[in-house]
Amino acid sequence: MAPQPVVTGLSPKEGPPGTRVIIRGEFLGNRPQDLVGLKICDSDCLLSAEWKSPNKIIARTGPARGKGDIIVTTVSGGVGTSTVQFRVYHETIGPLKESAVWIEESSPQNFAWGRRTLTQSGLTQEDPLGLSIEGNEQKIPEDLRDLVPDACGDLSQENFSPAWFLLENHSATSFVDLKAGLSYLKRKVESQKEGQLSFLKSNAGSVIDQLDTLMNIRDKLQEDTKLHGSEPLDVLELSIKNSIIESKKIFDDVLVRKEKADSTRAVLFALSRHKFLFCLPNAVDRLAEAGEYDKVVNDYSRAKNLFGKTEIPIFRKVLEEVDQRIMQIRKQLHEKVVKMPQRVEQQKKLIKALTSLEVQQSGTLVGDKLRNIDPAWDAIEARAKYLETTLRHTFEQYANRDAATQDKLKNRDPNQTPSRVNFCEEICDIAASQLPDLWRLGQLYFTGELRGQHDPKPGDFKRMILNAIEKFCVYLRLTILIAADQRTLRQTTGLSWPIGSNTATHQFLSWIPQCLRYTRIAYATLISLDLPSEALDIIQKLIDEVRLFCFSIIFKRATDRCKKLDAQETWEMGVEDFPGATLLPAALEALLVETLDEVQSVCMQPEAREGNLLEPQSDGQREVSQRLQEFLSAFSRVIEELAYQSHDEETPTHNVSQLLGFPNAQHTDPNVSSGHFYATGTSAVTWEQRMLCCLANYAYCNKSFFPHIGELFVKYGYPLPTLAIETSRYTVNQLFTNLLEEYVEHKGDPLVGTIEPSMYLGRFQWDHEMEIGKLRPYAHECCDNLVGVYSEIYTISPALLRPILESIVQTISEELARLMSCVRRFSFTGAIQANVDIRLLRDALENYVNETAKNYFLEALEAINPPLNAEQKRKADEILGHVKHNMRLQLLCFGVKDL
Amino acid sequence: MSKKPTAGPALHKVIMVGSGGVGKSALTLQFMYDEFVEDYEPTKADSYRKKVVLDGEEVQIDILDTAGQEDYAAIRDNYFRSGEGFLCVFSITDDESFQATQEFREQILRVKNDESIPFLLVGNKCDLNDKRKVPLNECQLRAQQWSVPYVETSAKTRENVDKVFFDLMREIRSRKTEDSKATSGRAKDRCKKRRLKCTLL
Repeated sequence: MAPQPVVTGLSPKEGPPGTRVIIRGEFLGNRPQDLVGLKICDSDCLLSAEWKSPNKIIARTGPARGKGDIIVTTVSGGVGTSTVQFRVYHETIGPLKESAVWIEESSPQNFAWGRRTLTQSGLTQEDPLGLSIEGNEQKIPEDLRDLVPDACGDLSQENFSPAWFLLENHSATSFVDLKAGLSYLKRKVESQKEGQLSFLKSNAGSVIDQLDTLMNIRDKLQEDTKLHGSEPLDVLELSIKNSIIESKKIFDDVLVRKEKADSTRAVLFALSRHKFLFCLPNAVDRLAEAGEYDKVVNDYSRAKNLFGKTEIPIFRKVLEEVDQRIMQIRKQLHEKVVKMPQRVEQQKKLIKALTSLEVQQSGTLVGDKLRNIDPAWDAIEARAKYLETTLRHTFEQYANRDAATQDKLKNRDPNQTPSRVNFCEEICDIAASQLPDLWRLGQLYFTGELRGQHDPKPGDFKRMILNAIEKFCVYLRLTILIAADQRTLRQTTGLSWPIGSNTATHQFLSWIPQCLRYTRIAYATLISLDLPSEALDIIQKLIDEVRLFCFSIIFKRATDRCKKLDAQETWEMGVEDFPGATLLPAALEALLVETLDEVQSVCMQPEAREGNLLEPQSDGQREVSQRLQEFLSAFSRVIEELAYQSHDEETPTHNVSQLLGFPNAQHTDPNVSSGHFYATGTSAVTWEQRMLCCLANYAYCNKSFFPHIGELFVKYGYPLPTLAIETSRYTVNQLFTNLLEEYVEHKGDPLVGTIEPSMYLGRFQWDHEMEIGKLRPYAHECCDNLVGVYSEIYTISPALLRPILESIVQTISEELARLMSCVRRFSFTGAIQANVDIRLLRDALENYVNETAKNYFLEALEAINPPLNAEQKRKADEILGHVKHNMRLQLLCFGVKDL
Repeated sequence: MSKKPTAGPALHKVIMVGSGGVGKSALTLQFMYDEFVEDYEPTKADSYRKKVVLDGEEVQIDILDTAGQEDYAAIRDNYFRSGEGFLCVFSITDDESFQATQEFREQILRVKNDESIPFLLVGNKCDLNDKRKVPLNECQLRAQQWSVPYVETSAKTRENVDKVFFDLMREIRSRKTEDSKATSGRAKDRCKKRRLKCTLL
């Protein structure tokens, strides 16, 4: 047990009752609940006590008197002690003193009839010294009681002590004032001592008044005696008796009236009750008309409670009437419940009203006629049916409108939204607004909120929901997926959207993403409903199909745009790591990126609860692959077209015929062929150059661009479309070979063709002796022509040098071999000359000679007949060295290796 | 008081005087309960009493914490009469409160009619030395004139708090032993003798 509480401090230590005191000490309890008692000067102050800490309590003093201990009692420490004491004093408050308490200044009136107030008590006793007490602190110095025991300062008390009085009331009065007071007191005492005479003198007026009054009383008494005899009391008694009888009469009268009033009130009360019942049939009708079914239910149940078990026939009759009316209302209500369209809340309200009416009416005779109806279920059915009809109706309406407009004007405004899209929007709106309603109603029904006493039919409801969603999907499918095979759908549903003109269908295609968006919005709404996944799967399937359709449409459109890319070809060679390739692939890439972006945002990005279209081995992947392949092959065809396009427009320039005498304008102006190529820009691009560009593009596509496209797809989250890219590369490769052949043929044929005429120009014959020492013109010409071709290719794309030149060289070597073998006989010098010519050509083109060409050259050398002897060989070597020295510029040209 | 048994430990009555807001209550509460009260609430008249050990002897100290405000000047006489020793407190940050100590001293001397009543001049709030308004030498000079000790305290940091109370109690005790020796003492402090009897009885 904790130590006893001890109070050691008080602030303040004195004051009137109600003073707020801060009590300090030790062990004053360890929590507010520990404090169970507080007494200040023996008055209980626990109520006002506010426990602050084990050292501090704040309380207000109670109505005590005098000085006393502060006793704190705690559960833990018991009853405590105090080392300090509190003193309670009472303040008298006069009109001049400040006070926090309202003091009633007028003396209290005694309202007893016919009674005068007695003389006032010594409450406002005058100071015997004639001094104002006010302003003096009226408090007893604490040692007063010790100084004057058994005394008090009250003038009227027996143990009055003047010392006490003075200390109590005049502790602050100055000595001069006290002396004046003493003389005042003395004067007063003196005046009383002077005797009766002086008293009479001073009060002569009032004494005479008293005498007059006494005389009056005597006269009145005599008069009374004269009038009523000597016993006036008899008269008084009589009149009192009379008045008693009279008052009794009045009292009885009042009693009777009160009874009457009571009975009247009871009757009125009963009437008001009955009024309610009698008015009920009409009131119920009126309320039902106003649509306030809650009130109907309320009133009806009230009536049922009040009169349900009544035996009074009139009430029963009225009740029956009410029951009939309620019956009518129920029928009306039921009609209203199944009437569509209306809001779920409204329907809910009606159903609730109907159900409660039915519950209340069950058991009555009338009520049993219309039983076992399930308004909520009816409402659900009605809603489902309404949804179905709305869907169908909307579909028919739009389909018919579309058919009608198509007949009327074929070319509609292309900016106008096709009715398929409008239908899509509307049907999605309908589904998104009505399906949730239906579902909510169903939920309410199955959670029991709207259910009557009937068993729910979950299977039916689920079927209903699934059916509705399926219908919804069918309509959308008919509308959106125009490319798909709808024959089975048409057969099963008997519905079809009128087949429009091609242009209309084409217009609609661009709106499909819009439709997809509508569908998705509706889908999102349905997802949030917690529908069974079975139902959602139906829509998901549709959405996935639409997405795929969307994808293929977008890609088809991209392919169409790709086909028009040729207009964008500027023949500007901008690919850094592949000289000769133009900006066309970049344009294609931009188009592809744009398309992929669109696809991504429109359909590929799966939204909430949608499938991934790119599952391996899925339709989606196949579609992607196929579309890409189409796209790329379209591009290949574009290049092809570009390559062959100018065949008809431009005369091919055969810049190989300088010896034959029709000088070529382009060749004679070297600025155009190569030097000015970049400066003059696209306008001066020749057909050959374009062809070379296309060749370069093909090679570029094959080597790096198509794989790059694949990476692009991967970047967008698609699986690498290897098949499509490989196929496209193969196609491109094929096209490249074809084009190459075309080019080689175009370039090589004239070149090779000039060799023979040039060789035999000027009636030249190999068996004639000739001047030797330099190259024959035909070989020069051939060499120069090759340089021309070489420079042309080199300016466009050095990478193409080898494949082109090799085949040209091969044809040259073949031609030489053929020509040599045709010569029957060589003269001595002729043999040397031929040897030099052939070897020069061979050596010059060393870098581009393949095996076949090498063989042909060898064949050509061997065809020289008779073969060269040692001297001829020496001579030939000498000449060859000389010629090579002369032609070192041309030879240097071919010496440039592939870049 | 007659109810109190005389057998208890000696009781020393200390009165706190000084202007309003100088920290009389703060000093008292710090001495009594080791707590420092931050918020200011003017005192009317508070009473505290507890046992302390003074130089190995158990005594009771009774502290009367008076109102500093001028409104209560009239009732001070009553309180002063019962005091055996006085702590005259002023704030070293407030020159007016220092000047007021003169009046308190005079009033105490008038009431007690005793030049050598136990009395300590206390300069409080010495933790606020940077806001000092009353120079130290002036305080010491005044204490010298009155021939009383001067102590600077801080109710906030408890500096010298115990010292002033114990010093005062020692003075009271020595005065009491002096008085009891000279039993039929000088006529000039009759009043005091009577009071002493009262307490003893």
